[in-house]
Amino acid sequence: MQWDNTVSNDEKPNEKARAIRARQRAIGRELRRMYDDVAQEPVPDDFLDLLRRIDDAEDARTGKKVS
Amino acid sequence: MVSSSPMRQHVETGQKDNGDGDFKTELLALIPFLRAFARSLTGNQEGADDLAQETLVKAWQSRATFIPGTNLKAWLFTILRNQFYSDRRRAWRQAPWDQDAAERIPGGGEDQIFSAQLSDTARALRVLSDEQREALILVGAGGFSYEDAAAICKCAVGTVKSRVARARKALMEILDGDDTLAGVTRPAEGDAAREIMAQLDRLAPPETGETGGKRRPK
Repeated sequence: MQWDNTVSNDEKPNEKARAIRARQRAIGRELRRMYDDVAQEPVPDDFLDLLRRIDDAEDARTGKKVS
Repeated sequence: MVSSSPMRQHVETGQKDNGDGDFKTELLALIPFLRAFARSLTGNQEGADDLAQETLVKAWQSRATFIPGTNLKAWLFTILRNQFYSDRRRAWRQAPWDQDAAERIPGGGEDQIFSAQLSDTARALRVLSDEQREALILVGAGGFSYEDAAAICKCAVGTVKSRVARARKALMEILDGDDTLAGVTRPAEGDAAREIMAQLDRLAPPETGETGGKRRPK
């Protein structure tokens, strides 16, 4: 898209820049929403199981070493 | 006798865990963010959760190298990102495919099946280059500083800034099609990436500064 440089060169770019910034903010909100939607999901059990397994492995390891 | 690593400055509790329990508690608290970042990298839930779990295991194994008091979230994100690219390199070696074609097609590659469930913005995100996408997500959604994002992506701060700016412009072009201000039209999917590149060339001459997308408040 080209500006018509023969006519008023001031107002249109400013308007357009404002509109672009507003649009960018809206897209930014949408990106954060997508990210936050996932971050707010409850952590699936798989993850908790995984951390528990790490625990068990650690208990076994340190138990051996400390004694 | 267990000697604690010099890196680990946690208060000795006299209990068996030397601060590992604390570390695990912090890991647990950050899982939601690992999942969110992983989802944005892979574009699908299953792959993302596998990636986040691999990250947890790696983080646990490498916990002695984490320096307490530094940014654990950024440290974890770095591990996750490394894991993502190394998994994908391995996948490419196993099943070579046309990367150029995959990058041209929104929802191409592994997330194709899921693209129908994705919002327009999520789909548009898939069209960006990996570098632009990760920079935009870290800064624009994850709330990381440009400095932290640069550390995570292993590049210069200025590079992150320009990737974020380009990503923002590109997303807008993808979402809004030919008429930037219409806000409703959607480009035909296959043509999106080619069209963006053409539009970027037209809209963003090297001198920049006029579109407002890069202008930052003081």
